[in-house]
Amino acid sequence: MSSDIAIRCAGVGKAYQLYARRTDRLKQIAFGSFRRFYQEYWVLRDINFEVPHGECLGIIGRNGAGKTTLLQLLCGITRPTCGELEINGRIAPILALGSGFVGDISGRENVLIAGAILGLRRAEIMKRLPTIGEFAGIGPFIDQPVRLYSNGMRARLAFSICAHADADILVVDEALAVGDAVFREKCLRFMETFRRSGTLVVVSHEDDQIAALCDRVIWVDDGRVRASGEVTEMLRLYRTETAGAVDDGSRFSFDSAAHAPPS
Amino acid sequence: MSETSLQHDSREREAISARRDVRLPAGDHRWTVLAPVTIAWHHRELILAVLRRQLADRFSGSLFGWVWAIASPLITLAIYTVTFAGALRLPVASARGGAINYALSTFAGLIVFNLCAELCYRAPLLLHEHFAYLKTSIFPSETLAWTAVLRSLTYAGISLTLLLIFLLGVNRTLPATVLFLPFLVVPLVLLLLGLVWCLAALGAFTRDIAYLMITIVPVLMFATPVFYRMSDIPQGFRTFAYLSPIATAIDMIRNILIDGVLPPLWLYAGFVVIALLVCRGGYAVFERYKGILVDVI
Repeated sequence: MSSDIAIRCAGVGKAYQLYARRTDRLKQIAFGSFRRFYQEYWVLRDINFEVPHGECLGIIGRNGAGKTTLLQLLCGITRPTCGELEINGRIAPILALGSGFVGDISGRENVLIAGAILGLRRAEIMKRLPTIGEFAGIGPFIDQPVRLYSNGMRARLAFSICAHADADILVVDEALAVGDAVFREKCLRFMETFRRSGTLVVVSHEDDQIAALCDRVIWVDDGRVRASGEVTEMLRLYRTETAGAVDDGSRFSFDSAAHAPPS
Repeated sequence: MSETSLQHDSREREAISARRDVRLPAGDHRWTVLAPVTIAWHHRELILAVLRRQLADRFSGSLFGWVWAIASPLITLAIYTVTFAGALRLPVASARGGAINYALSTFAGLIVFNLCAELCYRAPLLLHEHFAYLKTSIFPSETLAWTAVLRSLTYAGISLTLLLIFLLGVNRTLPATVLFLPFLVVPLVLLLLGLVWCLAALGAFTRDIAYLMITIVPVLMFATPVFYRMSDIPQGFRTFAYLSPIATAIDMIRNILIDGVLPPLWLYAGFVVIALLVCRGGYAVFERYKGILVDVI
């Protein structure tokens, strides 16, 4: 248990319980010890990796490979079904940017709540409000209800909050997909600065971003770590291996061996 | 849950506590006896932030804001006074103190009952309501029970203040036993917290719990001494009425606010014990399912 390690996953797996009917879920709670009423779907399995403090890890993989679930596990939003997960430091998740906002209240009030969720004191958030607003670059709209915001504006504000939360570990899920080029540039610059003091985990479908930020990349495929290593090599491997792939639903099959319960 | 998960349960729990509580000194506070209270202290900033937002939502979202909050209990109180002072013949035992006192006693009963009823309606949907927070941020879901209870308690507090003002106006004095009020409110809050935790966890799995509440709470209203006093119930049935902690809470509130006597010790002690058990039990249920709640809502 070295404290040089920011994130350590050892044999982490996550299974979702798929039910044919909603009522089966109740039956499972009541009679679960006698019979099983669900089908297990293993989204992630045998995930092993370590991220030392100050490193930037990139995660690549196709849709449905389990990248977001992995990030949710790291952030503690959902619990692993098996395995061991060790996190040293305060985490700020930048997932599904801005969808955690309440539409009816102003951006400013949303910042107050989001900041509290990240563990900041009210006084601290108040002090940082001007900086957060400035970084988000949405001007006087910060005092308007969030439901009037565009997707880009929401993302800007959400990113800005997490950026100013004093986190040790920043977990970023395709965060910049909706931002415009100028804002993206600003975020990238921020993440590069952040990397000097903190740990970064980035999911992205854009090779440029991964190449610019990351020290190391893991490729998640069908819920497992397919390969991991040096950035340019991983990106090349990922591109060549997936180049000829057919985009059909077979990857999501309930019965495929990749997602079946371990025997 | 599969066998592997059981095997890894304790280790997993350690790992999670390490992640969530990095700012705390060593020791897992989430599993101690006092956990329902210590988590509130630990997350006080968050609870207050959400509470502040919800209250502001309710009161400053409308043109007259706080006026509504005061007007609606005031109108209820006025209607009861007028109705019971003139229009209705009262149950014998309750009428002893006069019509005004009966109206006030009913109002006191309603404050407590509405507090409980509102939470019973809301609790099963509590996690669904905060879906976005739970899915996309590191929101500690157990704090939602605290915000829900404190929010409802604020509304009840407004009504209670009106009641006290009215009592003062009618009787020119308040009984000294009013000072005992905090000692009733604290166990009542714990009782409600336990109830909310339990209902919220079950309600996450199925919406039936919410429908069940809509069906049984109105029935409970008549089974609970809101419009009558505990002493109106025939001796044989009274024992059953005392089994409901809500009924005892109403009875004791009336004791200290209207009758000016302290509740019997055995009743108070029993209430506190039940409140503590329900609180810790409800929290235990919530913690038990907390890990999968996010996956099912």
